[in-house]
Amino acid sequence: MKGWKRKRGQAMLERRLPVGVLRWVGATGLAAGALGLTLLAAGVVLALGGYSPLRAGTALVSGALGSPDAFLSVTLVRAVPLVLTGLAVSLAFRAGVWNIGAEGQLYAGALLGAAVGLVSPGLPAPLHLPVLLLAAGLGGALWAAVPALLKTKLGVGEVVTTLVLNFVALNLTSWAVRGPLQENRGIFPQSDQVAEAARLAPLWEGTRLHWGFPVAVAVAVLLWWVLKYTPVGFRLRAVGAAPNAARVAGRIRVKPLTLGTFLVSGMVAGLAGGVEVAGVTYALYEGLSPGHGYTAIAVALLARLNPLGVIISGTLFGGLEGGAGAMQRDVGIPAAWVRVIQAFVILSALAIERWVRARPHSVFVHPPSAPGGAP
Amino acid sequence: MSRTRSASRTEPEAELIELRDVHQRFGAVAALRGAGLSLRVGEVHALLGENGAGKSTLLRVLAGLQAPDRGELSVRGRVVHLHTPRDAWDEGIGLVHQHFTLVPRLTVLENLALGVRGPSGGWRGGMRLPLEHVAQRAREVAAATGLAIRPNEVVERLSVGDRQRVEILKVLLREPRVVALDEPTAVLAPAEIERLLALLRQLAASGRTVLIVAHKLDEVLSVADRVTVLRAGRTVLEAERASVNARLLADAMLGQEAREAYDNAPVLGRGSVVGGNHRVQARPGHTECIACLERVEVWPAGEAAAAEDPGAEISLDVHRGEIVGVAGVEGNGQRELALVLSGRRAPVRGRAVLPPDPAFIPQDRSREALARDFDLAENFALALHRQGPWRHGPLLRWSALRTTSEKLLTRYRVLAEGTHALARTLSGGNQQRVVIARELEAGHDLLVAENPTRGLDLAASAFVHGELARLREGGGIGIVLLSTDLDEVLTLADRVFVMVRGRLLEVPAAERTRSGVGELMLSASAAADEGVEKEAWPGDA
Repeated sequence: MKGWKRKRGQAMLERRLPVGVLRWVGATGLAAGALGLTLLAAGVVLALGGYSPLRAGTALVSGALGSPDAFLSVTLVRAVPLVLTGLAVSLAFRAGVWNIGAEGQLYAGALLGAAVGLVSPGLPAPLHLPVLLLAAGLGGALWAAVPALLKTKLGVGEVVTTLVLNFVALNLTSWAVRGPLQENRGIFPQSDQVAEAARLAPLWEGTRLHWGFPVAVAVAVLLWWVLKYTPVGFRLRAVGAAPNAARVAGRIRVKPLTLGTFLVSGMVAGLAGGVEVAGVTYALYEGLSPGHGYTAIAVALLARLNPLGVIISGTLFGGLEGGAGAMQRDVGIPAAWVRVIQAFVILSALAIERWVRARPHSVFVHPPSAPGGAP
Repeated sequence: MSRTRSASRTEPEAELIELRDVHQRFGAVAALRGAGLSLRVGEVHALLGENGAGKSTLLRVLAGLQAPDRGELSVRGRVVHLHTPRDAWDEGIGLVHQHFTLVPRLTVLENLALGVRGPSGGWRGGMRLPLEHVAQRAREVAAATGLAIRPNEVVERLSVGDRQRVEILKVLLREPRVVALDEPTAVLAPAEIERLLALLRQLAASGRTVLIVAHKLDEVLSVADRVTVLRAGRTVLEAERASVNARLLADAMLGQEAREAYDNAPVLGRGSVVGGNHRVQARPGHTECIACLERVEVWPAGEAAAAEDPGAEISLDVHRGEIVGVAGVEGNGQRELALVLSGRRAPVRGRAVLPPDPAFIPQDRSREALARDFDLAENFALALHRQGPWRHGPLLRWSALRTTSEKLLTRYRVLAEGTHALARTLSGGNQQRVVIARELEAGHDLLVAENPTRGLDLAASAFVHGELARLREGGGIGIVLLSTDLDEVLTLADRVFVMVRGRLLEVPAAERTRSGVGELMLSASAAADEGVEKEAWPGDA
């Protein structure tokens, strides 16, 4: 009689490799699987749309990775806001806070950051940039404070409130660049450029890559370290993983922690806005973010909410968006297709996540939540 | 009664269900290693075993919730493969879950109607809840079995015993040939247990087969026709009730050596009626009060219970070196009292003087004591991460936490793959060992234990009781034991209280017997139960 099912191979693997390694292999395999599924599906859809998947793919890859400049000036520059907002989303999700509002918090940060960058007099030059970034973080935190307080004080679900505030932030920016922050010429709906001292310098001369990238990586490492080694990071993970156990067994005060996490998440997203203003645009525009705050959710999910993984997945999505330009230019495929591909990545990541959740006893496929692995 | 019943059956019954050589691994843990089970028509069959022996897993296989690695299942001699619960239903196998599966906000009737197709069939039958149809059927089944329930009551307002009756009724509505119950007595008060066991006998008498997973030997012996014992994933004994006794079963469950060790454990008189006054007072010399409640109210204002019985106040002193036992039917405020005593909730009114950071063993292990998706070291860290040796200044010392975890896993003999194993992969008994190990490691002055042996088998319960007794002997800690298991309270506690409607009544030493306390316990709920029969099913004239 044959059994219903067999799982021998996996059991053998578990005996030979340490658990930590297996979890990393599992996480990487998961991401690779999502990517593979995505490419397959995207190829089919492109072919159905009448484009050559091969040519499109070539253009995309060469646009993102084809030359050192493409990688540094296109992919990595685009990756910066994606990594930062991805970190904001990851942090919130780890604590069970469903912050869908990274986009709005990014705009709030950009708005306050740009305002500070424009009023140069009175500040010593070396302080101007830090103050701009600080203001941006504050803007994001303020924007997150509204849904955070609604959630912790009144129990209002944050998914709707954060989402709705995205549109408010976008419209607030539109008003600002037509009103108080509009350029002195008063022609275009945009602000003047921020002071020289308030800008992020290029990392290498001749490329567009700026100091925002190391900043983003530093924030990622910091968050990873906080989640792994500090009591507050551990409590945050506990609240996200099991709120009741955190409260009863861990004696953790859930509401203050939720509130704090929400604000820090908003701050990181706001920082993304400030970094965009100080490093890329030097001014405030309506279309400052082409939906970074939404793509951030995919970035975070693909990284399985691991801050270090967000660096990689953020860079991947940066490459996708950067390569899209080349795809449009060289093959004539509308850049909107990249949105389709991103949607595929999210769907396949979610599908694989579900598949994994249905196998709770397997170490191999389990999320790397252990301190021995990653936080 | 069961003995005469099984003896009166002359011809050997045909096997209705037969499970053979079932194997199931979860990671490195082999839950089943050649388990077998055979069920006959019209019998009550008890499945016994230690925690982690594989009872629940075998039940899940039978109910189509788990496809095993290897094994064969036949129904009336025909080999079948169960991949989903629906497959099991189609074979007439119905499972009453250990953790209830009712929707709390729906009424009893709505819960019963979930998943039932209306008599009209087709898409219209599937589109709306066939409430009248279900009410009709439920009335019939309720009349035939005496399962009295209030159809229009919202489930979240029912007691645990009532919920279980709804759960059973829900299964019976589908006219199963086999009714399987996973640890059904674990949550019930003594009177309710007797009611349940009588119901099971009645179901068997009406030609259904009842499979009951249990770990209290006296219950099993009073109700079962046949018994199957699992040990370490294998079937080690399959026998008629008449041919076994408690000692034989305990030997089969534990292995003889372990059973003898269990007999020598510091707890007496398990599973039998305990004479009340073997320990009359808190011993002298250990009289320092470590927790004091002064006129404390535990019902949150605005809750139905508070309105029903306003002004229920509790005053209680807990001393070092004693176990204060609190018995009571579920839902009389023990939960709230436990939260207040353990410092997890502020009293609604009154004064609670507590030692810093009391240890707490909550009754809901999987939700409140453990983070299921955290590994064991992280679960230890939940309670330990604030303290000295596990902190390095402001940072966590995971290496020290891992070392402590490993030490505790060994000392408390937790069956797990190591500190990296996720809490949810452990069996209930092993989870409780983890919780106890953690709560005792930090060195507290007060321990609040809420139904600490719920869902645990003999050996695991003995372990918990032994730990509580050992702690009392140590004299350094005061213990409050809140339990719906009356025997547990009577055997362990120095002082016995009964919780009735938010009030704490001390039981005089002379009345510390099962029947004496039982009367007190049920006096409050009797009034509520009277309403049950009167309420009409919809459709009644």
